[in-house]
Amino acid sequence: MSNSHADNSHGHGHHPALAHHFNNMEDQFEAAKFGMWLFLVTEVLMFGGLFIGYIVFRGLYPEMFAEAHKVLSVPMGALNTIVLITSSLTMLLGVTSAQRGERTKSVRFLWVTILLAACFLVVKYFEYSHKFHEGLLPGALFHNEHITHPKAPLFFSLYFMMTGLHGFHVVVGMCLIFWIIRRSKRNEFSPEFYTPVELVGFYWHFVDLVWIYLFPLMYLVP
Amino acid sequence: MESNDHQKHSHHFILPTKTALTIGAILLGLTGVTVLMGSVHLGSFNMALALLVATVKASLVCGYFMNLKYDKAGNGFVFSTAFLFLAIFAVLTGTDIFFRGDVYVKGPLLAATSGGPAKFKTPWIASAEISAHGKELFGQQCTACHGVGGAGDGAAAAALNPKPRNFTANVGWKNGPKPSQIFKTLKEGIAGGAMASYASLPVEDRWALSQYVASLNPQPQKDSDADLALVGVKGGNQEGVETASSIPVEAAIDLLVNEAKAKKAGT
Repeated sequence: MSNSHADNSHGHGHHPALAHHFNNMEDQFEAAKFGMWLFLVTEVLMFGGLFIGYIVFRGLYPEMFAEAHKVLSVPMGALNTIVLITSSLTMLLGVTSAQRGERTKSVRFLWVTILLAACFLVVKYFEYSHKFHEGLLPGALFHNEHITHPKAPLFFSLYFMMTGLHGFHVVVGMCLIFWIIRRSKRNEFSPEFYTPVELVGFYWHFVDLVWIYLFPLMYLVP
Repeated sequence: MESNDHQKHSHHFILPTKTALTIGAILLGLTGVTVLMGSVHLGSFNMALALLVATVKASLVCGYFMNLKYDKAGNGFVFSTAFLFLAIFAVLTGTDIFFRGDVYVKGPLLAATSGGPAKFKTPWIASAEISAHGKELFGQQCTACHGVGGAGDGAAAAALNPKPRNFTANVGWKNGPKPSQIFKTLKEGIAGGAMASYASLPVEDRWALSQYVASLNPQPQKDSDADLALVGVKGGNQEGVETASSIPVEAAIDLLVNEAKAKKAGT
């Protein structure tokens, strides 16, 4: 039984995507998914460091946060939240379509997801350029006369670091979605094998997850 | 048998489109709730509510979009450990940052070192004001070892050998009981004991402490001009008074920021 894998002679054809060190597609799928969850744990901890930085500085300078956050546009942030949640939904529909073997539908949903991700970045671009223009920049680069609190540059360090790292994840996510669209077009996925589609979906939902917290913390500080 | 295994994959749970759309609608609805809550002012309650809503949204995304609700418990468990460790990280950091003030003094120290105007032009001359300032600083800096009354019976004294100086007795003063001599002790510390250098305190604050501590002595000693000259005070003017050789990190940051700002304003 065990040496039958080495010579690759199962007798009956196994799935072409099955790596030789796995017994079956189920094990391979579960292993890949477990790996993805572990990766997402590291992602939580990476963003977590920044969120704790946020908690510390907000705790030390609450009045500075209350003053500085006002320059962020709530409508823009809310719009981006809606865009990102919708993109998560279309991603999910892209995955479930792939699971059912509906390739054309799946690819269509994935394209809509990329489009929504691009919308998110365009909104972010307008937000960033407004801040650059007003001198609302991190650390020593900060030069804005309207915000008087001496620690205000800290808020913008956090803002740009957190939304910047998140934005980077959006760009990476777009590339990954594009990658699975191409593989899907090459007919590589089927109801028996759709691991990459589902796991890229996880990544995308995680990007959504981070934003769900970033939005109230950055834009809606009371 | 094996071919059966290969087919297993197709029995995975697939989220029905209807459920997906319902969850999506709830998420968008909750986003609306979050935004609307921003316009109602409930004080610090706002943020707690917003985070609660965010957590409900996050749970829906994890549970349905990322399939955790229908998946093996192991994956959800692994993911939740990330938040457990994050919580430990947050609690330990928070207890350090937010309760550090109880251990180290921040307020008066920072105010005095970050370029505030000097309150005492001649801090080496005893006065009621400087003693009051010294008493305040004493309460923050010294009582842990020297005790509230200065009798060397602070909470930490039990663990120390040699014991902290009893300021209410006129014996055993290593450098002497005059303000200028106490000032020297504050600058240099006492070798071979637990008394550290307090040179990081502003000069003014060290003089204030010296005046107060000297006044605890049953027979307070006064400085002669020669005593004062030994610590750099000549002829009663400020010339020769050494400045703090080091300052706390936080004060240094404040100074640097102020300097950078002044520079920017100048150009």
